[in-house]
Amino acid sequence: MPSFLRNKTVFSFLALLVLGMVLGSAHSRALETGESFAPSNVVRTVLIPIETTFHRMFAFGEWLLRFIRPRSAILRENAALRREVKRLTEENARLREAAEENVRLRQALHLRLSTPFEMVSAEIIARGGSVWFDTATIDRGRKSGINKGDAVICARGLVGQVVETDTFTSQVVALTDQNSAVGALVQRSRQAGIIQGQGTDLLVLSYLPKDADVREKDIVVSSGMGRVIPKGLPIGRVVEVIRDSIGGTTSALVKPSARLDNIEQVFVVKAGQTVPVN
Amino acid sequence: MRYILPIISLLIAVGLQVNLPSGFNIFGAKPDLALVVLIAYALAADPMFGATLGFAAGLIHGSAVGISLGSFIVTRTITGFLAGLLTTRVFSENPIVPMFSAAWLTLVNELLFLLINPRFAPAVAFRTIGGECLFNSLLALLLYWLLKYLETRRKIRLVNARMRI
Repeated sequence: MPSFLRNKTVFSFLALLVLGMVLGSAHSRALETGESFAPSNVVRTVLIPIETTFHRMFAFGEWLLRFIRPRSAILRENAALRREVKRLTEENARLREAAEENVRLRQALHLRLSTPFEMVSAEIIARGGSVWFDTATIDRGRKSGINKGDAVICARGLVGQVVETDTFTSQVVALTDQNSAVGALVQRSRQAGIIQGQGTDLLVLSYLPKDADVREKDIVVSSGMGRVIPKGLPIGRVVEVIRDSIGGTTSALVKPSARLDNIEQVFVVKAGQTVPVN
Repeated sequence: MRYILPIISLLIAVGLQVNLPSGFNIFGAKPDLALVVLIAYALAADPMFGATLGFAAGLIHGSAVGISLGSFIVTRTITGFLAGLLTTRVFSENPIVPMFSAAWLTLVNELLFLLINPRFAPAVAFRTIGGECLFNSLLALLLYWLLKYLETRRKIRLVNARMRI
């Protein structure tokens, strides 16, 4: 045995490192297979009451701050909300019209029709645990029927994907996280690519051909490839198109329509939800 | 028994960390409260204690984040060990020492993390690390004063109790 390993401290330190690597490797395997990882599960069970307590304290503090705001700020917000309601009402009417037309066309063509998604509502109880990862914890787990890979959405569109589930909670990885990759389409031209997180405020739509039909302000939606994330969920809007003449590829920077770090309530959409229509 | 209070502190730090408001940042970087608590305790102890507490810190923080559990455990075990080692080499009552120690230990911890997870854009990574080092060193200073104040009060109570006997 080498002499430095005879030192008890060094030996114990190395043993801890090896144990850490073994645990890390077992955790990665559990993530891939979608199984629960017992040590993390135990730690999270202990953490839930602490996280929930702080979550309520911060929510109360936020409510208190809102309550004691000056009248001018409330009036400004009121005016902005009225404008938003007006805009959304108009947009809603346009979308309703488009949806009805879509239904008529689908029925005429005897195509498969997507049913309204079966969803589970959930609250974000913790988020942003590390500077390197954009993840969050929601208060619904396997007991509510949530599985690894389920899409997480809010009223503005897709925000992320479930990466791990416990009995009562689930870990969600945001679209903006570097580990995130989702099949996407440019809504106008139906150009398909992969939308990936970069760890910044913007997403990148990559794997597009050199002459891809993509422009600034184009809306990007999920493509439904792989049948994990349902098709047509809004992802964001193109803010910049980058054409690489040497590599012969095109990519686009996309501003996400919703961000995990500024929402409280989300819905989990279960995977593979499309049924044929008669 | 020696580990109970530090582990409770770590659990509270992680519980607080995952609820920090998004506006609470420097250069887009948030402080790593679990790392600050680990450094604060490990600086006042031996390398073995630091490494074991680092292991626990990595397990708790990694479980809360849900990704890269192994990276969290390994980097924090090394950081805790180094912090403990520093105590045996350098000792000072000067509050600047824990402040600088927190900054460079954060730097070492995050560089190790990037070494294991080399997917992050360098510009973003270095801005994030810079902000975090600054944040953590300020928090370490506050925590140092708090722990020192509590320790002084404990000693005064001990002396008073002995004088009564």
